[in-house]
Amino acid sequence: MARYSQRQYQLQVAVLMAVYALLIVFEWPLVPQAHDLVLRALLALLPAIPVVLVIVTAARQVVRGDELQQRVHLIALSIAAAVVSAASIVGALLVLAHVWRVGGDVLIWVFPGSCLVYGVTRTALVRKLTGTWTCG
Amino acid sequence: MKNRVRELREKHGWSQAELGEQLDVSRQTINAIETGKYDPSLPLAFKLARLFRQRIETLFEPDEER
Repeated sequence: MARYSQRQYQLQVAVLMAVYALLIVFEWPLVPQAHDLVLRALLALLPAIPVVLVIVTAARQVVRGDELQQRVHLIALSIAAAVVSAASIVGALLVLAHVWRVGGDVLIWVFPGSCLVYGVTRTALVRKLTGTWTCG
Repeated sequence: MKNRVRELREKHGWSQAELGEQLDVSRQTINAIETGKYDPSLPLAFKLARLFRQRIETLFEPDEER
């Protein structure tokens, strides 16, 4: 299976995230104006499409990587999942105990939080294993 | 694990990228193997040994057991 170059991968992710940002800025404000429930749900979920495509692109990058790249991706993903899960359970317990009052909209930070921890961990691993900033 | 990958690659006059291309891995992976920061999987170790026409145990040498 042909490997993506790191540059192709980054370009695809950048384009998808730009589409996401444009949808949030220009399309999301229309959601409260939609009175039909189905239309409102569709408009609300539209920004999720580029995010799901980013996840698919990242998964494809992992599958097409060589064994070191796969190891780095999977360790970084595991650490991101562990950190975000731990933060979620801590947050949920504080909310249930009425110590911390936040709405359900805090869930919007789960994906960016996962991406942040994944990115930092992956960069640190690549730096440690290869002495460079990229592994692709 | 110690290995002779860098020595044999240089003997063949190949760059890390050229060796990586022959093994279908990235240049960074070859660099990590050569510097001992990453131990390759058994299939990749056999591919390296076959490419350099070496026995796998002459290519890779385990560290002293503690």
